[in-house]
Amino acid sequence: MKALTANRLTDGEVVFWKAGQWVERFADAQLWDDDDPAGVEAEAAAKNQPLVVVDAYLIDLIESEGLWAPLSYRERIRALGPSNHLHHGKQAEGGAVIEALQHAHGAARSTGRVNLIKRK
Amino acid sequence: MPTLIELKDGVCRGAEDAFTHVADDQDMATGDVIVSLARFQSEGDGLLSEGRRVGVRLKAEEEAEVLAYDLPRLAVVALDFPKYRDGRAYTNARLLRERFKFAGQVRAVGDVLREQAGFMVRVGFDAFEPADDASANEWQAAARRYRHVYQRSADGRAPAFAEREA
Amino acid sequence: MYQYDTIDKAMLADRSSEFRGQVARRLAGELTEDQFKPLRLMNGLYLQLHAYMLRVAIPYGSLNPAQLRKLAWIGRTYDKGYGHFTTRTNLQFHWIKLADTPDILDHLASVDMHAIQTSGNCIRNTTTDPYAGATAEEVDDPRVWAEAIRQWSTFHPEFSFLPRKFKIAITAAPKDRTAARVHDIGLVLKRARDGALGFEVIVGGGMGRTPYVGPTIREFLPVNRLLSYLEAILRVYNRHGRRDNIYKARIKILVAALGKDEFARQVEAEWAKIGEGADLPDTELARIRGAFAATAFEVLPAQSEAFEAAKASTPAFARFVRNNVKPHKKSGYGIVEVSLKGIGDTPGDATSEQMETVADLAEQYGLGDIRVTHEQNLVLPHVKLDDIPTVWAALRDAGIATPNINLVSDIIACPGLDYCALANARAIPIAQHIAEKFRDQDRAEKIGELKIKISGCINACGHHHVGHIGILGVDKKGEEFYQLTLGGSGAEDASVGSMLGPALPYEKVADAVDTLVDVYLRERQDGERFLDTFRRTGVTPFKEAVYADAH
Repeated sequence: MKALTANRLTDGEVVFWKAGQWVERFADAQLWDDDDPAGVEAEAAAKNQPLVVVDAYLIDLIESEGLWAPLSYRERIRALGPSNHLHHGKQAEGGAVIEALQHAHGAARSTGRVNLIKRK
Repeated sequence: MPTLIELKDGVCRGAEDAFTHVADDQDMATGDVIVSLARFQSEGDGLLSEGRRVGVRLKAEEEAEVLAYDLPRLAVVALDFPKYRDGRAYTNARLLRERFKFAGQVRAVGDVLREQAGFMVRVGFDAFEPADDASANEWQAAARRYRHVYQRSADGRAPAFAEREA
Repeated sequence: MYQYDTIDKAMLADRSSEFRGQVARRLAGELTEDQFKPLRLMNGLYLQLHAYMLRVAIPYGSLNPAQLRKLAWIGRTYDKGYGHFTTRTNLQFHWIKLADTPDILDHLASVDMHAIQTSGNCIRNTTTDPYAGATAEEVDDPRVWAEAIRQWSTFHPEFSFLPRKFKIAITAAPKDRTAARVHDIGLVLKRARDGALGFEVIVGGGMGRTPYVGPTIREFLPVNRLLSYLEAILRVYNRHGRRDNIYKARIKILVAALGKDEFARQVEAEWAKIGEGADLPDTELARIRGAFAATAFEVLPAQSEAFEAAKASTPAFARFVRNNVKPHKKSGYGIVEVSLKGIGDTPGDATSEQMETVADLAEQYGLGDIRVTHEQNLVLPHVKLDDIPTVWAALRDAGIATPNINLVSDIIACPGLDYCALANARAIPIAQHIAEKFRDQDRAEKIGELKIKISGCINACGHHHVGHIGILGVDKKGEEFYQLTLGGSGAEDASVGSMLGPALPYEKVADAVDTLVDVYLRERQDGERFLDTFRRTGVTPFKEAVYADAH
C-alpha cells in the first residue's frame, strides 16, 4: 500500500494527496495498492505543481489487521511531529488516530507489526 | 547561442560577440576565435600569425599560471564553470588580474547565472555568457546589488576598512 | 562589543532585499525549486521534515540583550516560542514559513543580525572561546580576530563556492573550549617570548565520515599576517580540494592526501606570492580591538560577602557555583554558565521566555554581554560575585540553572531525525534518556567531567567523534541503532573516539552509558576523568561490561 506526500511550498507543512487535493493529516490521505497505477499518476501530477509543493514522493505503508502506517520511521515522524515536543506538529491535535500512529513506533521496531489507523 | 554581456566603465551592456568558440573537434573558424588550451598550444602561433585575435578557454581544473607567458598575446581568457558551484574559476580570474595584470577580456562561460554576477565582477570578469538568459540590465542590477564590500579584490572597489578611514 | 556601523548595516539591508526578491520570484514561479534551493540555503533556510528551518548566524557566539530579545520575539511570532542553539553557536528556528522569511531577515537586520553563510560551501560562522574577554587564561582577546575574519569572509568573491563548507575556530587559552583541532582551520593564539602575538595554525581537522585531528602547519604566524595566510590556505583548497565526491571534499581530505608537509609547502609558496597587501591595515585592527576593549569593570574585592553567605546557607546555590561559575580575570567577578540542558529537556533549546530572562539578566547584571557555547549553553561572562545569587535565583526560576556544566547530563545533541532531513536516527530522545538516568546530582558530581555527544547521522553535527562517550545514530534495516565510541576529545587533548562494539538498539543506549560509567567508577584512580581512565585502561573493560549486559 502507498500514499503520496510532499512539503507545501509556502510553509513547508507536511501534506498528503487526497483526490487531487493536499491534506495535512495522514489519516485523510488517499491510499493505493502497490500495483495501482493511480498512485504513480498522482505522483506525476504532483510533480507538476511546483508552486504548490516541493519534492512529492510515494511512501510505502505497512498493514496489520486492516490498519495502516508509513513503513519508515522517518515518515512516521513526518506524519506526527518531533518526538521531543509532543505538543508540536500534527500530533498536537491528539485523538485516536494520532495515538495509533504513535503506538506504531514500538510495534514496528520490536516485532515488525503495526497497529495503525483504519484504512479509509 | 548565448548572448554576450560586456562590462565596461561599470556598465553592463549586451554586445555583439566578435569571437567564435571553436571546439577541439571542430574545423577552425575564420576571424577571431576562442580555443581550448590544448589547441592553443598546438595551433596558437599559427592563428596569431594570421593577424586575428585569439582567446583561450580554460577548464576549471586548468590553472591560469599555464598562460603566464602567453597572456600578452591573448585578447580573451574564457573561464569555464562546469557547474555554477564549481568555484575554481574565481581564483583563476583573480590571479589573471591581480598577479598577471592581464588587461584583456576575462569571460565567464558555462553554468553562468546572474546570482553569481556580483562575485564574478569582483574577481575581475568583464564579460559574461549567461546560461539563464539574464538581460544586461538584470546582470547589472545583480552585480551592483551591494553598496559596500568587505575585502580587497580585483575590481579595485574600496573595502569597508578603507571606506572607514576615508 | 563590536558595534555595526553604517557599512555593516547596509550589507545586511542589501542582503535582505536581495532575498526578498528571490523569494518573490520563487513564489511567482520565475525560479524553479532547483534554482531557488541554493539561494535559500545561502540564507540559512532549509526545508526539513516538518517545516522550513532558518539558521540565524551568531558571529563568534556573541549576543547583546537586544539581539537575544529579538530572537525571542521571532521565536514567539514566527515559530513555536523557542529556538535551538547549535554547535556552530548559531540559533535555529524549526517551524518557519517560507513566505515569512524576508520579514524575519528584516527583523534580524534591525538588531544587526542575519543568516548569511549559515549554509553553503562557503566560510561559515567563525567560533571562539565563550569566555573571551573574561577568562584570565587567554593571551589576548580572540574576538578581535574572529570579527576580522567575519568581515573578510562575508561575501568573499573568491571563496563562496568552495569544494565544501569551511569552518574556522579561534582560541586564545590553553584550555580549548572551541574544538579548534577538529575544525577546517583551528587558530590557537600564543605569545612568543618577546611578547609578540601569533597563531598556531592547525588545518584539516574535522569530523563527519572521516574524522581527523588536524595537524599544525605553522607553529607561529604573526597575528597581523592572518588574513593573507588564510587567503593562501583557502586558495590552495579552492583549487585542489576534491569536487568529485561530497564525502571527500573537505580540506581534511586534501591535507591528508598531500601530507601536512606538502600542504604546508604549497600554502607557504602561495602566501609568499600574496604578500602583505592582503592583510588588514593596523588602523582597522586597532579599530576592531578598541570595540572589544571597552568593557567597564569595577574595581572590587576578590571576596564577596553576599556570595559566600549564599554558598554557606543554600546548598543548591553552592552546587551551582561549583559547576556553573568559572573564575573571571577581574577580582570580584565570575563567569556564569546558563545550562540549556535541563534534565529531560532538549539540549540547546531555549524558550522565548528563557531567552528574555537571560537578556534581562545580562542587561542588569552582566554588562550586556551574552555568549553561546559550542556545547549548546549560554554564558553571562561578566557577573559580579555580589550579584550571582540573584542571577542564579532568576535562572533557576526560568529552569536554566541546572548545575551540570561539563557533567554527564551536559550533552551535545544535534536535532536528529526529529527535525532534520539528513538524519538517520533520533538524537534528542537519547540525550533525554541519558540525562534522566543521571538525574541524581550527587552522583553526577561524583562522576565529574564527562562529555557525551550525540549525532543523528555521519555528518557529525553533534560532534560524536570527540565525545568522551560518542553516540552515532544509524539506520539498520529501517530501525534506529546507535554506535558508541569512547575516548574522543575536542579539547586541547583532542582525539577521535574508538568504536566500542556493535551498534545498540534505541532502548539499550542509556543503560549502556550507565554501565560505562559504572566501569569508570570502578576503575578510576586518583582524580582521573572518564577520559583519563579510558585512555589508561583501553576499551576492554568497558566493552566487556556493555556487551555482557546486552547479551
